[in-house]
Amino acid sequence: MTGVEDTGPVVLARELAKSYGERVAVSGIDFQVPAGVCFGFLGPNGAGKTTTMKMIYGLATVGDGELRVLGMDARRERRRIKARIGVVPQETNLDGDLTVRENLIQQANYFGVSPEKAAPRADELLEFALIRDRADERIHALSGGMKRRLLIARALVNDPELIVLDEPTTGLDPQARLAVWRALERLRREGVTLLLTTHYMEEAARLCDSLLIMDEGRIVAEGDPPALIREYAGREALELDLAEECDPGALLESLGERANGHEFHDGALTLFADDAEELLRSLDHERFPTETAMVRRATLEDVFLRLTGRSLREGE
Amino acid sequence: MSYEPGYAGLGGGLGARDLIPSPRHAAAIWRRNARVFSKLWKGALLPTFLDPFFYLLALGFGLGTYIAHGINGIPYKEFVAPGLIASAAMWSSAFETTYNVYFRMNELRLYDNVLSTPIEPADLVAGDLAWSASRATVYGTVVLIVVSAVGLVSSPWAILIPPFVFVGALCISVIGYAFTSLIPKIDLYSYFFTLGITPMFLFSGIFFPFNQLPGWVEVVAWFTPLYHLVEITRGMATGPDPLQILINTAWLAAVTAILFPIPVRAIRARLVP
Repeated sequence: MTGVEDTGPVVLARELAKSYGERVAVSGIDFQVPAGVCFGFLGPNGAGKTTTMKMIYGLATVGDGELRVLGMDARRERRRIKARIGVVPQETNLDGDLTVRENLIQQANYFGVSPEKAAPRADELLEFALIRDRADERIHALSGGMKRRLLIARALVNDPELIVLDEPTTGLDPQARLAVWRALERLRREGVTLLLTTHYMEEAARLCDSLLIMDEGRIVAEGDPPALIREYAGREALELDLAEECDPGALLESLGERANGHEFHDGALTLFADDAEELLRSLDHERFPTETAMVRRATLEDVFLRLTGRSLREGE
Repeated sequence: MSYEPGYAGLGGGLGARDLIPSPRHAAAIWRRNARVFSKLWKGALLPTFLDPFFYLLALGFGLGTYIAHGINGIPYKEFVAPGLIASAAMWSSAFETTYNVYFRMNELRLYDNVLSTPIEPADLVAGDLAWSASRATVYGTVVLIVVSAVGLVSSPWAILIPPFVFVGALCISVIGYAFTSLIPKIDLYSYFFTLGITPMFLFSGIFFPFNQLPGWVEVVAWFTPLYHLVEITRGMATGPDPLQILINTAWLAAVTAILFPIPVRAIRARLVP
């Protein structure tokens, strides 16, 4: 992990924008990824996360604005940047004509390492990905979770200073997802800078030290997960399933400043407050009858809903 | 995920720096393809042994018996045999740079991974082309061994044929690769083969000489790479004229160099938009 200290942030974007023909994918965003953290991009599909990642790892040209990766200009120093980062793409693109071990050795070869020198490192990485016993099998014999762990191992062959992960657990079952999270947590402890995109708020909350919420090509909020929740939702949420005769407008009016905010969806009212229990007790239950009431901790999902009026998973 | 890549064109202009491959990085691509071929070669080479046998049987020994005086003083079997070395190389190059490259690029999505390592489009294309030509040289050499074994090669210079096959295959490969990098869907290969490869196979002087045909036929053939490769292999197998060999080799090398930027730019436009 050398060479980062003297060059400032690992990734620096100023007014970064990208369009594909008429379609605007990223419209002028500014952010900085400091060294040694896990930095997350949270947002729904089509928010511009993947395009931003692709500009960083060289699979999309930089549109407008400035993008510096490890201190280098992403427009002009693509080959040198790519030599020092690791990429876990959204789509599994392992080499199906090669075995598991050969995939790692061949990847090292793309980085200029000879097969003889790559072999011990490949064994280490197979150990890391918990697939050493599958080393000589073909890719199609692996489960989805194993393929994803192999993709992460493959991204480590060049000892990268920065690893970019585009939706590392999308499509995995909960157990496989947990295994991927553990692998990423191990990397973070080793001090590697992680940059990941996700539309799972549990993932963002668990892994990320710092988070940036994107929607429709723009950044809508930024901060560490607890601070974002405090700022945009409060500590807790009160979910009310309103009875038919209950008037939500009047209910909200009666609360005044006691709720930090609210969301109303199909007869379900979510109220945000630092103490939702207290808020529930203070409700006039005679005037505003409810079918059910539930107090829970506020989450990033609530933050996203409040910022955009939409759910993270909408349209999935 | 769609497997139809769509049309991306040639994209914006690239600087000279983007068009010159790095040999070290191109070699990594070559090595990947060679590694895969090394697992499959036994199955892949057998048809290559049989193919020239069938052509020789049908044309050389079948049709050839009706051509009593041979062609230009050469028995018909010996006339056809060196052409089959060139055609084996052409078919190998054509399949490698169409279906095989298409599959790696659009179905396995291997090039997305490759291009996010230090490898750039020029390295990728150069490595794939060098591999395609290497594979074609293996196939051409197999045919050379077969026709030599049955006594259809009269000049010892024939032993130098393989490197020339490499040059000719490189030229055919760059054309196939350019086509693959530009087509929006796989169906268009039928045009490539029916309008390009098959006519080239039939009309490049493998099966009959041009001297009895109208002059324009040879002029058209002159613009195809196979014509030049057949001139070289037949010259080498029957007694070479150094100047002819040099001119034909220069044609193949020059056309390869002129066409090389097309797939590089198209791959860049398609995979790094």
